[in-house]
Amino acid sequence: MNRATKHLLFAAAGLLAVSAVAGDLKIGIAEALTGGAAQYGVPIRNGFQLAADEINAKGGINGNKLVLVVEDEQGKKEEAINVFKKLIFQDKVLMIFGPTLSNSMFAAGPVANAAKVVAFGTSNTANGISEMGPYIFRNSVMESDVLPVTVRTAVKHYKIKKVAVIYGNDDAFTKSGYDVFKKVLEDQKIPVTTTETYVKGDVDFKAQLTKIKATNPDAIICSGLAEEAATLMVQARGLGLKAPFIGGNGFNSPKLFEVSKTAGEGTFVGSPWANTNPTPANQHFVAAYKQKYGAEPNQFAAQAYDALTIAAAALKSIKVSGNVATDREALHGALPKVSISGATGPFKFRQSVGKDGKPAGYDADQTPFIYVIRDGKFVLFTGK
Amino acid sequence: MEAFADFWATYSTLIFTVGIHALLALSLWLTLSCGLLSLANAAFMGIGAYTAALLTLHLHWPFPMVLAAGALAPAAVALVIGAPTLRLSGVYLAMATLAFGEVTRILVLNLEITGGPEGLNGIPLLTTWWHILLILAAAGYALARLRRSRMGRAFEAIREDEVAARMMGIDVEGHKLAAFTLGAVLAGLAGALNAHSTFFISPREYGFENAVDILTMTILGGISSLIGPVLGATILTLLPELLRFLHAYRLAVNGLILIAVVLFLPTGLWDSRRLRQLVGAWRTRREGKP
Repeated sequence: MNRATKHLLFAAAGLLAVSAVAGDLKIGIAEALTGGAAQYGVPIRNGFQLAADEINAKGGINGNKLVLVVEDEQGKKEEAINVFKKLIFQDKVLMIFGPTLSNSMFAAGPVANAAKVVAFGTSNTANGISEMGPYIFRNSVMESDVLPVTVRTAVKHYKIKKVAVIYGNDDAFTKSGYDVFKKVLEDQKIPVTTTETYVKGDVDFKAQLTKIKATNPDAIICSGLAEEAATLMVQARGLGLKAPFIGGNGFNSPKLFEVSKTAGEGTFVGSPWANTNPTPANQHFVAAYKQKYGAEPNQFAAQAYDALTIAAAALKSIKVSGNVATDREALHGALPKVSISGATGPFKFRQSVGKDGKPAGYDADQTPFIYVIRDGKFVLFTGK
Repeated sequence: MEAFADFWATYSTLIFTVGIHALLALSLWLTLSCGLLSLANAAFMGIGAYTAALLTLHLHWPFPMVLAAGALAPAAVALVIGAPTLRLSGVYLAMATLAFGEVTRILVLNLEITGGPEGLNGIPLLTTWWHILLILAAAGYALARLRRSRMGRAFEAIREDEVAARMMGIDVEGHKLAAFTLGAVLAGLAGALNAHSTFFISPREYGFENAVDILTMTILGGISSLIGPVLGATILTLLPELLRFLHAYRLAVNGLILIAVVLFLPTGLWDSRRLRQLVGAWRTRREGKP
């Protein structure tokens, strides 16, 4: 699209915006509600809905009602772009939350950035997301912020001298987790005895685990999703491997225990959110979520809930004019200043630097919680 | 005008996707027209997409040259793998090309330069509507001419009866390789155009599922003419968007529509022979002839 067309589009968007219904603040939600990524997208949508309902029940934002425009992006890049464009140019939302997967954000993010609309990811943990431009935000904590803390804590607790590494090498999420682990281990000067790989859907890890056992590591670092990790743990114990596991964000799922039962005892995992975090904000969120959806919330729901709270705080601080282009810009200006104490704890933004060296979008500036698995449950690690 | 600008801003990517899918369906139509059931076209698209994206990102080549390279790279690969695999026919060829697709995907997944499973991001937006329209029109014209040419007749002869074609003196292997390679050119072009209109590519877009998607578009539209694949691609791309108002049920309805088409129109939506018959019957009735 050339510059002239772009200007024309913005002018058109501006003219039409005046006719939008005053009193409603439209927020776009683009999440994967069907397909493989729906297991993340659905709790995220629930988290947004819960937050919006609570805000509206309390009289909305400065008297204006929050309206969520929810669209399914199926976890596919073309769909994510289509949904973003629909939300931006047709529904005229003030900002967009989503998409669910980092891959989709890489495709749809530039669209929002070019249209000067905030795209706010709540579940994108890949490196380079916020580098895409100044309109890209996220409150999802990157692996590179979580894993150093996890590894340091585990190393201290178990007095680890050397580790073995295993990861899924065909999945963007587990591969980028591995890259971070690799760097962390180099930085903390922990020798790696062996590095093994598997692919998604594997059910037999005995060959890799036998190799790992032969190198006699003090711990096994695993960047994998809960499904594979659970089987891996069971088979490791079956082979007589007693070393504890250290896991990435992929471990943060109740699915881990369905298969592994107690095989994962002593595993260290970092997470941006703790179910049992006793702060009133979190206790309120957990109780309200359970009451509304009849299910335990997870980290993704918590991050979505917090994200809308952050956006609400920013909206509260601006004067809504009814002109979409101006309001979008005002919201973009107000967001980075927001700091809240939500379900995931104290939160503020940290500006990242783009590929061209200029200041770009915003990442989460948060301390992760460290869990250890005890009696087939995640228990908040308190140093004991 | 304003309404159009708004419409275009919202749906341009969707329209681009229709054009790119049409190109893919035509690429498979070409291989099918020679009787080759190939599942390699998704992999050829991937090779084209990665070649083009890497040339843009690292070497900053001008876009027309990038497109040309995106078309030629899969063609070169097709020539190499085509020679041995095209001796196979029917489902055996499908299996061999499927294996080739998997090998390509896993290769891309493990290479450093392709970004592995994380793919390539930050690909600049270079594809415009006229690139797609021009290439689609040129491909349509070339294929229409090809059909009526000596080569096209040879393709058809091979598809109908390979032995008979060979007896008539047609170079069966040569023609098969030509159909396979030209199909790879079109698929590669589609991949290059797609990479430069969606900012991002990853290996999972060129797997088995996508090979089947391309096959579905072509077969649903019907392979008796060039209109069929284009129609099939258009419908399969637009249908999920048009059904968006159904929310959670849209994929189910999408599937039901496909089942209905396959059940009631087994030769595809656009079957020139059936259409001619229909038109003929309508004329006869109208003109009152017996």
